[in-house]
Amino acid sequence: MHGTTPLLTAINLRKTYVKYANRIEVLRGLDIDVAEGEFLSVIGNSGSGKSTMLHLLGTLDTPDDGCIHLEGRRIDNLPARDRDALRNRTFGFIFQFYHLLPEMNVLENVLAPAMITHSVWSWWRNKKELRKHAAEMLDKVGLGHRLTHQPRELSGGEMQRAAIARALINRPRVLLADEPTGNLDLANGHHIMKLLRDLNQFENLTIVMVTHNLDLVHETDRMVRIIDGRMDGQELSQPPALAAAV
Amino acid sequence: MYKLLLCWRYLKTRYLALACIISVMLGVATLIVVNSVMNGFSKKLQTLLHNVVSDVAIEAHSPNGFYAPLDKIAMIRKDPYLNERIEAMAVTLDSFAMLQFYHRGSQETVTRPVRVMGIEMKSRSAVGGFKNYLQLQSADAEPTFVVPSDIKAKFAAVDKEWHDFHQFQFEQEIQRLRRLEEQEKKGDLVAPPPQRLDFEAGISPEMREFFSKLRKDRPAPPLAPPPAPAPFKAREPIGAIVGHLVANFKTRDEDNNVTDRAAMRHGDGIRLTTITIGQNMTPVYDDFVAIDFFKSGMSEYDANCIFIPLDQLQRLREMDNRATNILVKLKNQSEADDIVKAMAILFKGEPLIVNTWQEKQGPLLRAIEIEKNILNILLFMIVGVAGFGILAIFSMIVSEKTRDIGILKALGASSAGVMQIFLSYGLLLGIVGSLFGTILGVTITLNINTIELAIAAITGQRIFDGSVYYFTEIPTELQPMAIVYMNLGAVGIAVVFSIIPAFRAAMLHPVQALRYD
Repeated sequence: MHGTTPLLTAINLRKTYVKYANRIEVLRGLDIDVAEGEFLSVIGNSGSGKSTMLHLLGTLDTPDDGCIHLEGRRIDNLPARDRDALRNRTFGFIFQFYHLLPEMNVLENVLAPAMITHSVWSWWRNKKELRKHAAEMLDKVGLGHRLTHQPRELSGGEMQRAAIARALINRPRVLLADEPTGNLDLANGHHIMKLLRDLNQFENLTIVMVTHNLDLVHETDRMVRIIDGRMDGQELSQPPALAAAV
Repeated sequence: MYKLLLCWRYLKTRYLALACIISVMLGVATLIVVNSVMNGFSKKLQTLLHNVVSDVAIEAHSPNGFYAPLDKIAMIRKDPYLNERIEAMAVTLDSFAMLQFYHRGSQETVTRPVRVMGIEMKSRSAVGGFKNYLQLQSADAEPTFVVPSDIKAKFAAVDKEWHDFHQFQFEQEIQRLRRLEEQEKKGDLVAPPPQRLDFEAGISPEMREFFSKLRKDRPAPPLAPPPAPAPFKAREPIGAIVGHLVANFKTRDEDNNVTDRAAMRHGDGIRLTTITIGQNMTPVYDDFVAIDFFKSGMSEYDANCIFIPLDQLQRLREMDNRATNILVKLKNQSEADDIVKAMAILFKGEPLIVNTWQEKQGPLLRAIEIEKNILNILLFMIVGVAGFGILAIFSMIVSEKTRDIGILKALGASSAGVMQIFLSYGLLLGIVGSLFGTILGVTITLNINTIELAIAAITGQRIFDGSVYYFTEIPTELQPMAIVYMNLGAVGIAVVFSIIPAFRAAMLHPVQALRYD
């Protein structure tokens, strides 16, 4: 279960994209708190700023205004090197289109964040251990038999599961999922949701999931809605699973 | 680690990269082949020049030479520093002369200017590779100017024939005179009527009478016998070594190939006409016999030089105990500059100049070196063109991989890390291209003559005509350090031209990269 102190806090986030004469104000003073161990779903219309918020939380982008704190430490203004390290070790990303690297097989894709973490020397020293860990992760997501397959040889659901294993390889604190089931059929979508729910429940992994699918939000601890770049002031519902637990 | 893995995978999976590799490979291979051939030619030329001119040469300022060359050698030998560093020395006398010989082809006497070099065979053979270029005596332990006995006999037979002919003429003349004496004694000899001189016409009768009386009073000239020919003694013919291109002319055969046609053969007689030294230059000449031919491959020498015994040239030019050069062979060639300095001090104030063989042939060697450097620069531009290929192809690959770059950044890869992927990729392309280029270049260089023959067999046209260059094969020399520099240059170019695409990749915004289609 999630604690009461927020793990991740965003205050008054503003982000505007400018292209030529066009200014698109995506986030207009968005506030959000994510508690440790929480499974938070974020919904909103297309263009409401969900993905932008996720990118800002995950330090993939920097806000024009406002701030983001991780365990009370401001992270949005950190030097690029520190933000790279945060993305590598603290945050895990899952994308709608999986974004596996086509030059690597499934195992190598999962190992990619670990490869980024380790120097060549350190990699060769810990190679066996890391590979074993990656194989375990893949086994956990049900791809233990597909280690040496290329991404193009996997189905959409399998690719997303591989992407989840990749996001978890460096044992992140927060998993940021951008419409993880958006490109999957219903069965595969539920499979992925179950996997995320299990990770949250049994490994206390904090998850922030952006989705369009209102059916999925019932499997999360809490749901927030973004409207026109601002958080809707009201939590729409108490997630059923949480209500049952209380 | 991911950088190495990705650039290796990019190399394996991107066939466009093959174009970069091939262009670098061809550039490096061309550089190696051309450089090796140029080095081969240069080395061959240097070897030829070196063998012909020796390590160090002491030359006289004047064509009249210097006096007592052997005393100068003794001076050098007395210097302990020089003595222990010098292996051999040879005295030579250079002169210009006119050559005459009977051209076998046109059946007429040919006259042409030549450079006559008086040498002492034993000492000259000890200095440089002179002996190796003799066509008939190169295998002999000690080549000589001695005329072979069969040629001597031939010359003796001809001399004897001439002598007998002169003797016969002499005897005929003696017999004629005797007959006249006998006829005079018998009174049979009728004196021819006095001839009227032309200038007598128109003169007075008194004067005519005076001239007539004068003629009658003059006693008849005695019947003097001609000088008797000297008793026969066969001449000792003097041997000469004739430059290959002096004795041969270049012509084209029916197949349009350049061939040598002999105008002079072994044992043919030649006449050299030169001048004595001093203010009253007197033309002098002597006859020699072509006993060998000199073929160094250097047309400057082969087409102009005739070597004769030093003492004969000294005698002919009245240059007793004089020479124009002392050729010096060193034990260690690398000490040549120091030896030259020491000799310059030793002969300070004397009209002599001391040079290393490189200094003596400086302009030619420098011209070759400049030509080689210019060619290298031009060929390196081929690798430069390959660099632009790398720039274009890398830019395409970066565009193609934009989303992957976004993924890597989302996974925590730094901009520097992304840049390193593409720089490593460029480095790897350069290394692989250079490696294959080196293998190709070295293989072609080592088999260039076989390849040349194969091309000639296919096209029917020789690329390298040995008769033109005097080498039977294309000379090549692989210089390992030059190959290393070429490889480093090619790899450097590959890396430099991948900087811009790599920088572009590094500067990609991760969010924009992830959204890239």
